[in-house]
Amino acid sequence: MRKYRLIIAGLSVLLAAAFLAGCAGMAAKPTEDNFKAPTVTLNRVEVPYYTGYWYFSSKVKPTKGSAGDYGAAMGLGFIFDIENPNDYPVLMESLKFSIAFEEFVLNTVAADEPMWIPAGKTNQLRVNAIMDARSSLLSLMVTGGFQLKEKGMSPWDALEKWWTGAPEMSFPIHVQQGSAIFKAGGVIKGVEVAATYP
Amino acid sequence: MSIQSRGTKAFAFLFAVALIFGLSSWAGAAQINIGALNDMTGATSDVGKDYALGIAEAFHYINDTGGINGKQIKLYQFDYGYRIPEALTKYKLFKRLKCVAIQGWGTGDTEALAPTVAKDQIPYVSASYSGHLTNPEKTPYNLFISADYSTQSRGLITAWYDNKWPKKQDFGKRKPRIAMCYMFASPFSSASIKAAKDQAEMLGFEIGDDQDVSLFAIDTKSQILALKEFKPDVVLHTNTVMSVAATLRDAYSLGLGADHIIKNWGFDENLPKLAGEAAEGAMGCAPWAFFGEDVPMMDKVVEYAKKYNPGVPLEKRTIHTVQAWANVLGMAEALKRADAAGDLSGPSILKNGFETMRDFTIGLGVAPITFTSEDHRALSIARVYEYTQGEFKLLDTVDLQKRWPEKYANEWIGW
Repeated sequence: MRKYRLIIAGLSVLLAAAFLAGCAGMAAKPTEDNFKAPTVTLNRVEVPYYTGYWYFSSKVKPTKGSAGDYGAAMGLGFIFDIENPNDYPVLMESLKFSIAFEEFVLNTVAADEPMWIPAGKTNQLRVNAIMDARSSLLSLMVTGGFQLKEKGMSPWDALEKWWTGAPEMSFPIHVQQGSAIFKAGGVIKGVEVAATYP
Repeated sequence: MSIQSRGTKAFAFLFAVALIFGLSSWAGAAQINIGALNDMTGATSDVGKDYALGIAEAFHYINDTGGINGKQIKLYQFDYGYRIPEALTKYKLFKRLKCVAIQGWGTGDTEALAPTVAKDQIPYVSASYSGHLTNPEKTPYNLFISADYSTQSRGLITAWYDNKWPKKQDFGKRKPRIAMCYMFASPFSSASIKAAKDQAEMLGFEIGDDQDVSLFAIDTKSQILALKEFKPDVVLHTNTVMSVAATLRDAYSLGLGADHIIKNWGFDENLPKLAGEAAEGAMGCAPWAFFGEDVPMMDKVVEYAKKYNPGVPLEKRTIHTVQAWANVLGMAEALKRADAAGDLSGPSILKNGFETMRDFTIGLGVAPITFTSEDHRALSIARVYEYTQGEFKLLDTVDLQKRWPEKYANEWIGW
């Protein structure tokens, strides 16, 4: 009989644990009124991959592989602090933003992997962006052509300045036109993301 | 039955109840995977970024309003920077992710992928509206919710011929003269040139030498000087907006004196911003309403732009958002019909979905859509606007099917 009571007691603990675990998601009730917009702050920008500045046109014969228009690749890491001021966990569904060197938008990146942020806590998220001089050249010419002309700059001048200056962050890098989408229960909020580094 | 046995059974029952009620929130809902290939950084990013934002916002709308008969869509959206090798790489990823359909982008990669999507039987809805993609005998899995470039070009030339040519001083005295500006090496820019010349010849135009204008051009004086020799009455532009704006600016400053007719990608809210007063009187084809126009569904387009991309000011949003919505709403309708038929495979999305649409209306100012197993031209109508006094005003609507039924049905499909 004692053994039986011990088994029942043990199983009861398990039962309670299972029920509580299942009910955890129902404990807090997010509403439009009590939802406080999380904040997304740029902590820093890193250059985790760098090969200097270079460009080969398709007229140059490569040692191996096929010729093409190739520009130096440069990796940028954007580390964000994402703070959840709510009393319940919040899901960040996606974070998307454009990257501008000075006033020229060169890239748009997104982190689409959902992330839970516990109640009252701050998570960090790294978003990696690959910048390459060829794509940036095209982007610069097609969206910044008139602007560069007005400044009396050629796209090549701009690329060289940025690719050689990136290790020292000698020019401002802007995060702009950014949005983070947060969800809690049935509440969905888009939060604007903008920052400049350094 | 012993106490122990009864207790164990009772526990098992309660444990099951706890699991069902407690853990049911962990159960995943049915999901449909869709791929999207966009250019947010490359040679067409001046128009591609806004389109990409519209794609994501429209899928949010579909999910928020019940999904595909209750199934949620998981969108895998990637920027490929207009690099065709990367488009092929991303396409392979979409297959591994078991995407049942794809929202694609440019003419180069869409035409390059057309044989592959046909073999794989994956419906591919593109923002390339190349006429080459409209014949199901050749490209059975390519679709889009727009007038194709050839229909646009034919409609533009016809609208100019009907509305502007009779008002010219030389009307009735000589043939009208037309020339075309586009990037020769770009499959996108050159896609409708053959059809445009065919239409111009049919209407009795004299056709001048083509001018090679790069998509990156900001100085087109040499091309304008060459055009001045020919003295065109009208110039057709088939590039994207920045180089079209550059050409209009140079034509204005050098006194070319011609009218301008422009394919959809060169005719958006940014054209007057970039071209200034040189944009006055420019005509363009817009199969959809401009962003914010008072048409059905536009309230949702604006609401979702605000909701999901609050960092992008509304004044920066353009007609390209609207055309993305059109492609998404068309695809969602096809998915719903295929799902209702109990089969969400590629062939079913095509046959039970798209190819069952007859005069289907999605709103957004888009004319009713029809797809058949013999014809993937969704629209035979070119809506031609004129930019004048700071506004885009509808000038004419040219229905090629009504006007030239024989040629439209038998001669003009697929190019």
